[in-house]
Amino acid sequence: MRTCVLVLLLFLSACASRREEAPATPSEAPPALPPETSTRQESVAIAGLMESARNDAAAGRLVQAAGTLERALRIEPRNPRLWHELARVRLRQGDGAQAANLAARSNSYAGGDGALRAANQSIIEQSRAAR
Amino acid sequence: MMPRRKRILRYFGYALLAGTAAFLAFALYLDLRVTGEFEGRRFSLPARIYARPIELHAGTRIPLADVEEELRLLGYRNGEREEPGWYVRDQNTLEISVRPFIFWDGPQPARRVRAEFDSGVLRTIVSESKEAPLVRLEPLLIGGIYPAGNEDRMLVRLGDVPRHLVQELVAIEDRNFYAHAGFDPRALARAAVRSLTGRTEGGSTITQQLVKNFFLTPERTLKRKFTELVMAVLLELHYGKEEILETYLNEIYLGQDRDRAIHGIGLAAQFYFGKEVRHLSVAESALLVAMVKGPAVYDPRRHGARALERRNLVLHEAKEQGYLSLDQYSTARAMPLGVVPKPPMGTTPYPAFVQLVQRQLRRDYDDKDLRSEGLRIFTALDPRVQGAAEHALASRLAQFDKEKRFGPPGMEGAVVVTDPQSGEIQALVSGRDARYRGFNRAVDAARPVGSLLKPVVYLTALQEPQKYTLVTPIDDGPFVWKSRGAPDWEPQNYDKKFHGMVPLRTALAQSYNAATARLGTDIGLEKVLDNVRRLGIERPLKPFASTLLGAVELSPLEVAQMYQTMASGGFKTPLRAIREVTTQEGRPLARYALRVEQAIAPEPAYLITAAMQGVVREGTAQGLKSMLPADAAVAGKTGTTDDQRDAWFAGFTGDRLAIVWVGYDDNRAAHLSGAASALPIWGDLMAALQPEPLALQKPDTIETVLIDPQSGLRADLSCPGALELPFASGSAPAGRAPCASELGVTVQEVKQKAKGWLDRLFGR
Repeated sequence: MRTCVLVLLLFLSACASRREEAPATPSEAPPALPPETSTRQESVAIAGLMESARNDAAAGRLVQAAGTLERALRIEPRNPRLWHELARVRLRQGDGAQAANLAARSNSYAGGDGALRAANQSIIEQSRAAR
Repeated sequence: MMPRRKRILRYFGYALLAGTAAFLAFALYLDLRVTGEFEGRRFSLPARIYARPIELHAGTRIPLADVEEELRLLGYRNGEREEPGWYVRDQNTLEISVRPFIFWDGPQPARRVRAEFDSGVLRTIVSESKEAPLVRLEPLLIGGIYPAGNEDRMLVRLGDVPRHLVQELVAIEDRNFYAHAGFDPRALARAAVRSLTGRTEGGSTITQQLVKNFFLTPERTLKRKFTELVMAVLLELHYGKEEILETYLNEIYLGQDRDRAIHGIGLAAQFYFGKEVRHLSVAESALLVAMVKGPAVYDPRRHGARALERRNLVLHEAKEQGYLSLDQYSTARAMPLGVVPKPPMGTTPYPAFVQLVQRQLRRDYDDKDLRSEGLRIFTALDPRVQGAAEHALASRLAQFDKEKRFGPPGMEGAVVVTDPQSGEIQALVSGRDARYRGFNRAVDAARPVGSLLKPVVYLTALQEPQKYTLVTPIDDGPFVWKSRGAPDWEPQNYDKKFHGMVPLRTALAQSYNAATARLGTDIGLEKVLDNVRRLGIERPLKPFASTLLGAVELSPLEVAQMYQTMASGGFKTPLRAIREVTTQEGRPLARYALRVEQAIAPEPAYLITAAMQGVVREGTAQGLKSMLPADAAVAGKTGTTDDQRDAWFAGFTGDRLAIVWVGYDDNRAAHLSGAASALPIWGDLMAALQPEPLALQKPDTIETVLIDPQSGLRADLSCPGALELPFASGSAPAGRAPCASELGVTVQEVKQKAKGWLDRLFGR
């Protein structure tokens, strides 16, 4: 009997928690999975902008790269990779304070993406070291 | 002694000499003016201010009708598949021939796309049968910063002007243009004869007209006519026909759009046909040429028949002089006027927003440069959002006028809408008449904010999770604040009652004054004021206890900044109206970059937002529930000042933050309340924009616990009305509610146990 109640409760709480963890809360993704799979798949439009921003950044066109990333952020403001990329651009521009803040912003959307969190942490540390 | 006749001759000779000398001096003076001014003269081009461009990609949340409306405003033609700049709608599909445009980050070529929509979302978009990930429509021009006389123009090169346009112009205005030396004696004679018979005709050459517009005042005297003639000859001496023609085409006045003067063939092509000049047809060119004689008299939008008659006369003259074949002539003659409907814009339809843009620009640019260099200013204004905000404010205020529920007619209001993530200002309404260029209430009206400041008090409390959580009991008993040299301060509640001990979240949801004042003074006024500054208010606030209840005057824009920081999880992002500035040719000059600063830790920011969701779910803003879908999960706060002279609503959804203020300009006594007057405006505005639900990003350091609202203790599913509430880790109450004691476990504990049980089962 006790087991029955427990199973029923388990079922109910599973329902409840799924509702509560609407798409915006991937933070409780199972930690056992490798980080890549917990990273969301970018839409074609965002992937295109990200690539062009990376190309610009690689060629040293940092203002252009930042602008393109901001354009992408207007489309997907909760995409932690975009905030991260923008942080990297600011770091290269020598704006450590912005880089650290943007990395923190990225973290606030990173959920269980351990690799991304680590990368953000590294930006925060680098900007601290630079100051 | 000289004979008398000889003497007279000599005097005559002197006079002639003196006259010639005087004429030569006059001519020399005119020559200097002509060369000096013509050479040095560059047309002053206004800075152009653009709205945000619509980004089309699979997944864009925008209804087809809104894209269609934008295309209409852009002057795209419906249904004619010719040069870029048309669209065809077929049920759920839009086929668009997008015009080329130079964005700040480079040119986007003309392209044809097909977009399919379904229930308010763009599902697929293809371009030339390939998938097009991202297409920007050109942004709407929403205003400018104009030179004297509000002259607006877009320069064109003669090479871009169709030959038939030049031929039609020459045919009707100056048939000997290529032959004469500045003036045309035959045309003058013809004009003189005709004027004797009572018909007036110019007889001025194109060169003379240019001189008149360029150098002279519009008086009609013989002396001026003479000066004009001499200057025309001089102009022809110095410059070629092509140069004169090009300047003429850029100079001529071709219409009026409210207070904005339309000059030059380039802007006129846009203004009347929504086209680039090089795409003008024979008939369209003829209409513009027809209007040279009198843009008001032959305005095709007002006097269609008259304009058509003169256009056909132009076509006839062009045919007579061999510029058009009979075929071309009859085809063109059969065409309708073809003018695009264009709502009048004047210098701008959005004066409040443009004023804010100008203020920001003046910090970085000379006013002279803004009025002459043709800078291109790209802004964040979203005409859809702006339209919804204007409509919501104007229609509700009209309704309030009729009902006289809050006070006499004539109440005013202001609205600010921003994107909480980027801090971009999407709409700014400064009064019920949004076209009126007057007092900018959204930016300049500082009014008491009343209860809008309360969330900051609660936020400050929630920064100490060991002392305050959403369920901590707060005393809403009578409260007296004594300070030396000031009368005692005893805040009353809106319902004139005191409510005893209430949970913290309820004190905010119900906007209890006594509880808030006590809480604020307990945690320390300085701490609260420090948070107000952190959230982005730069204006110094008085360190009085009454400040806690909003005896603070702020503009709607400042309030937006304060709430923006809370809406974006504690990250302050300075509000911005401008994105980029480029030169006329598109070379980037400046970017106004997105900047963020973590001003408030993620946990208290999350908790205060959850508490503000409670204001809508179960507090003073419940009125919104009937206006918006339940899953919108809006967070917000009503604001009413003590004396009910000002009413506010501040709130945000997943994708927009909006602040609404209403009150009287003369600050008269009224019976306003945030919930009854500002809230419905906010609700109308958001309902029109189909808000994205507010799905908060929960920090790892926040846990949700099922709470029994009665006792404020841990509940389980057998507790009626149990709520899931967020707590900073370790701050949730430990005790169990009476209703939960039967089973002896909470949901969280069951989850824990079940997880351990599953782990054992699968050997993880």
